Amino acid sequence: MLSFIGRSVIQKIITLFFVSIVSFLIIHLAPGKPSQVDPLNPKFTPEIVERFRKEFHLDKPLYVQYVYFYRDLFTGKTVSWKDNQSVLGKIWERFLNSLPLFIVGTIITWTLSFPIGIRSAIFRGRFYDRSATFFSYLLISIPGFFFAYILIILVVTRFHVPVIGMETFGLGDASGLRLVMDRVWHLLIPSVLGATGGIAILSRYVRSQMLEVEGQDYIRTARAKGVPEEQVHYRHALRNALLPFVTMFGLILPGLIGGSVIIESIFSWPGIGRMAYEAILARDYPIILTVNFISAVLVLAGTFVSDLLYLVVDPRIRL
Amino acid sequence: MTIRRVLIFAPTLLILFLVYSYFWVPTYEQQTRGNPDRLNEYIAASIGDASILNPILSADSASSDINSMVFEGLIDRDEELRFRGRLATSWEIYEEAFFYVNEGATIPGIGRAGAQKVAALIQRAKAGQFPANPELRASLDNISDISTISAGEFLVTRYEKKKQEDKEPEEVKIRVSAPARIKLVLNSVDQDLFENLSHILGKDYFSGFNGQAYLSVDDERWEEKRAAYADEILPATEHNPNVMFHLRPNVKFHDGHVFDSKDVKFTFEAIMNPKNLSPRIADYEPVKRVEVVDSLTVRIVYKRLYSPALGTWGMGILPEHLLNDEALKKEAVMLGKDIEKFAMRQSSFNRHPVGCGPFVFQEWKSDQYIILDRFGDYWEGPANYKQYTYRIVPDLLTQEMEFYAGTIDSYNVQPHQVERLRGDPKYQNFSGPSFGYTYIGYNMRREPFNDPRVRRALSMAIDVDKIIKYILYGQGERITGPFVKQTDYYNHGIKPVPYDPEGALKLLEEAGWRRDKEGWLEKDGKRFQFTLITNSGNDLRKAILAIAQDAWKQIGIDVRTDLLEWSVFIQERVDKADFDALILGWRMGIEPDLYQIWHSSQTNPYQLNFVGFKNRKADDLIIKIRQEYDHEGQAAFCHRLHEIIAREQPYTFLYVTKWTAVLDKRIVIQETDFQGNPVYKKITPTKTGNFTFYFNKWIKLPEMPSFSPEG
Amino acid sequence: MKRRSNMQEFRQLLRQNRLAMTGLVIFLLFFCIALTGLVLTTGTNPTFDPAIVRLQEKLRPPLSEPNIETLRPEEVPGLGMYLFGTDDLGRDVFARMLQGAWVSLTVGFVAVGISVLIGILMGGISGYFGQNHVRVDQVLASIVLLLGGALLVLGARSLGVGLLIIGHLYIFFSAWSKRIWRGRPIPRWMRGFYKDAVSIDTLIMRFVDIMLCFPSFFLILTVVALLPASMYNIMIVIGLTSWMGATRFVRAEFLSLREQDFVTAARALGVSDFRIIFRHMIPNAMAPVLVSATIGIATAILTEAGLSFLGFGVPPPHATWGGILSDGKRFIFDAPWLTFAPGIAILIVVLSFNLFGEGLRDILNPKLRERS
Repeated sequence: MLSFIGRSVIQKIITLFFVSIVSFLIIHLAPGKPSQVDPLNPKFTPEIVERFRKEFHLDKPLYVQYVYFYRDLFTGKTVSWKDNQSVLGKIWERFLNSLPLFIVGTIITWTLSFPIGIRSAIFRGRFYDRSATFFSYLLISIPGFFFAYILIILVVTRFHVPVIGMETFGLGDASGLRLVMDRVWHLLIPSVLGATGGIAILSRYVRSQMLEVEGQDYIRTARAKGVPEEQVHYRHALRNALLPFVTMFGLILPGLIGGSVIIESIFSWPGIGRMAYEAILARDYPIILTVNFISAVLVLAGTFVSDLLYLVVDPRIRL
Repeated sequence: MTIRRVLIFAPTLLILFLVYSYFWVPTYEQQTRGNPDRLNEYIAASIGDASILNPILSADSASSDINSMVFEGLIDRDEELRFRGRLATSWEIYEEAFFYVNEGATIPGIGRAGAQKVAALIQRAKAGQFPANPELRASLDNISDISTISAGEFLVTRYEKKKQEDKEPEEVKIRVSAPARIKLVLNSVDQDLFENLSHILGKDYFSGFNGQAYLSVDDERWEEKRAAYADEILPATEHNPNVMFHLRPNVKFHDGHVFDSKDVKFTFEAIMNPKNLSPRIADYEPVKRVEVVDSLTVRIVYKRLYSPALGTWGMGILPEHLLNDEALKKEAVMLGKDIEKFAMRQSSFNRHPVGCGPFVFQEWKSDQYIILDRFGDYWEGPANYKQYTYRIVPDLLTQEMEFYAGTIDSYNVQPHQVERLRGDPKYQNFSGPSFGYTYIGYNMRREPFNDPRVRRALSMAIDVDKIIKYILYGQGERITGPFVKQTDYYNHGIKPVPYDPEGALKLLEEAGWRRDKEGWLEKDGKRFQFTLITNSGNDLRKAILAIAQDAWKQIGIDVRTDLLEWSVFIQERVDKADFDALILGWRMGIEPDLYQIWHSSQTNPYQLNFVGFKNRKADDLIIKIRQEYDHEGQAAFCHRLHEIIAREQPYTFLYVTKWTAVLDKRIVIQETDFQGNPVYKKITPTKTGNFTFYFNKWIKLPEMPSFSPEG
Repeated sequence: MKRRSNMQEFRQLLRQNRLAMTGLVIFLLFFCIALTGLVLTTGTNPTFDPAIVRLQEKLRPPLSEPNIETLRPEEVPGLGMYLFGTDDLGRDVFARMLQGAWVSLTVGFVAVGISVLIGILMGGISGYFGQNHVRVDQVLASIVLLLGGALLVLGARSLGVGLLIIGHLYIFFSAWSKRIWRGRPIPRWMRGFYKDAVSIDTLIMRFVDIMLCFPSFFLILTVVALLPASMYNIMIVIGLTSWMGATRFVRAEFLSLREQDFVTAARALGVSDFRIIFRHMIPNAMAPVLVSATIGIATAILTEAGLSFLGFGVPPPHATWGGILSDGKRFIFDAPWLTFAPGIAILIVVLSFNLFGEGLRDILNPKLRERS
């Protein structure tokens, strides 16, 4: 067990090292320069541009920049080129904004997918199953922003309430409950939109897991023993079908920092995805690289956690 | 089965709870009715977030939107675009002119002369003892004082690099024994002074001055630079325009500190400080020094004639007491940062600015909002709105949705939206010409764009009126030249290039282009073919790209189009002048300084005259315009320059867009009459390029008021 | 014999799965439309010219008749009316959609083609030759070479060149080494270098892990935003960032196929590796790849639409459905057809791909097949 942990940690660190190199190269070898060094601004003389480049170490060879960047990252000193703010501070602030969206979205995904998936497994091939299949594929087939606009326009023109942003502006000092509910309302549409893809995929997965388990011998045995159908599905089959989902908790982890660029831009939600997108536009390399790095860490941590969970949950696996 | 029940109830409950929240959210009407305070808050929407709230460091429009409310400059422009005093109550402009006595020159009538004699000569001329033409007479009358500066010796040190790669610059010592100098104080700036004086002092008196003779370089190796040093250290003549600002007394910064001339001097020095990397450094480069005369008077001395300089004093003034070296040092120590490296750019001031503008900074949440409160002690009296919120909504369509939902008071409304909302009784809308124009620029270094007939023909093939009518929904005006249309500099006598494809073909035929069998234009067996490029992300330019391609195709020109991402577009194509034709726009300042964009010295890579426009007469006028301090004179030069550019057609000048705005009708201007009763007026657009000129007097009312009669 | 019965069974199953069947039909229909679109919208004087600008005819609703008097003869739309209306420049949306169909299809197919090719290659190598090991000296040599190359690119000239020379010298040396060590025992200190270090399989799978560390849409967005905008870049980038799934599938299939009797038999008969892979293994390993490819095309079309929304889609003059959709959203109140026509078209096509892919999966999954 311990050796497994040790080995996989070392492996992940090596992977991370390569990820850091690859992402650094991708960004620095691309054409175009950071916009803070934008030479078209008539107010920027060549000397100023040169001074900016020096300030950001852009005049150094790439491997020196690489070392500088990751040294700053690990000592927490990286600053955004756009506004001189600490990158980690900015990411943390955005992370807190993205968090509710992520939590509500995940809850919606998980609570809805299971009933839908289980039912379609039970009624396999029947009308319910087929329409569930159809609708879940419908949900993942709509271009996200198209769906979002339709929903927003429907709500605003029919109900005349604001839906954009994290809260209604200009509420003044309304009661606490009111502010909370206002925030909940603003969470609703973006998190539902964010969850649609998840619901579709997860419910399909639940369905196929259930079907797989129901084909096993012990379920047939249970049926043959005369256990009521409902109990077969919900007790015997579901329990065993749940096993792989435990490990999926680990795989949610990267979603924490992922954030959907498109949904966050449409709903002007100040989350991580949007910050990263704006950093790309402004070629704010420190932010792009840091977000990339953190998400790589989370992906690796996620697989690590899910491996561990598998070890703990599945008695068949012994190392 | 509990599991089953849980599986069904949990999602149902969740969804019910989430949907239930709907009943807690106020609709458009409820927002103002349920919360009267909402009327005192103004919420503006913006696509992008501010980056740095410091007027000397910011370079983006969102930051300057906020900076203009928090900070106040010495002067600004009133609704007729004339200068108006803000932190300065008044100012006068005069000139100090200098010239070195050219002892080698023969002055007509008296021969070689020393300083005293020359000064006496000018004195006598001023008194009318010589015949003088009217120009000379005017120049002489303008002189208010003549004095001499005696000869002197001094040492100058310069730092030079022999080669680009050299790290450490070398010290060069220059020994100067300057001859006597004469100083003339002029009542107003006179760019022709020395030209006129040479009528008395002899034609070659100034140009014949040999500065090199008066200095010696201690190191042989730098001998070659002697001429350059002489021009720099001992210029034969020198114009030093002076601006004397009288500051407004008892103006307070938001923290209660009283504003005075030290702050002005500090702001200037902060801009020039290389540590601060201020993008505005070029604007203030002509300033020689800023002198504090007394606590309410500042004198700005310029190195040379540069008339657009006055406009730069609209820059927000920084509070010296919060940002001087001591304050920064304290902050660096507090934050545990390296004192040496800690500059204004790192200061937390940039996220919590303090100025003396009408609004006090309150809170900034990145990519969400910036909140400003009105400043009770504002020198012009507090604004009507209690709070100003700058909301960042990055998507135009959702801005519109938020506007309908009532959580935004104004947004970047698009022309087609104005068209739709025009009839809505709930809203009022305005528009007016902005300061920027859109154009198609041709690379005049390349065939066939080096032929003015071709450029004109290309302009004639595009139906600009149709573009304005259908693409801009009428929210634009034709433009014929590079000046702001609502100023006097713009020459309204010039007719726009007509839409005339037949005429275009005729012109092209003159230039040697004929249609081939397939209908394409051809010359010497080569087809008329080029690529039109623009940057991605701008819908208007994209539309013009398609329209121009189609229009030119109809007269037989094979045009390819390409959309490039902004930084690639600029760095790979524009900066390197690697394009045939491009669509771009300029945002102009009101000042008619065209040097960077149109002067022939600015055609190198990375400079702004990327189309390669070179015209001797235009160069002359451009220089004259930036040296002329008299408005009428300046306008006359501008009209002539405008004519040349319109004739040459280096650009196809398309249009100047109008800014557009839609507001709730209940937002009005509220003033108090002499009895203290509120008087309401409708908001009207001003020439200033926006509708927010009277923003401090705006207020939203619960009901539409009755308006006082105009006038 | 066996193959035919397989095909028949396949068809039988497909017919039973009505959703998949509908998906397939729409998929084929879309293919035909895209092809016709390509024919009808290109050339010097196409039937439907998507590029004609008619400003006076802007934002006309679907099915409206053109205003013949104001148009020149070549400007009259193909069907004598604007089937899907016109856009903000008066271009025929139907013609643009026709043209876009082909472009969207190309983007999807090429992107997935790239990813499947890489997937088969990497997965095949790691599944078939995975057990082979790379020796320590080989690893060291390649690290030295890589490092040298990287340093050269990054700016440290002398160091980079030095490392490259050392690497190449070693390669020459090892080519001769067999002759040098012939017969004689290898000295002990050298033996460490000749040990097996990692298997090829591990190497490739670690590389897959590295690629999986990047959030895919974000990575695509970064690369597309930083590169000059072009259709090819988008296809290549989507392809290069989505091959990991295919690699894993192919590897898994190869691993199980390797152990099967017919492969062992083929190998016993002395059939070459090359032939075994291409004749016997790839055809049998294609099933899951096919499923993921079908769904991959759908994803690629959606990804392109998403990129278009953010302003990094396929640039003009190529129209894609995603591009038309994101251009049209400005006018969603004034001209809803500009949004709905491409939006619904994308929806239908992507849905059909997904349903077909799902059907394929069901059919090809023997475990689930037995019960129905």
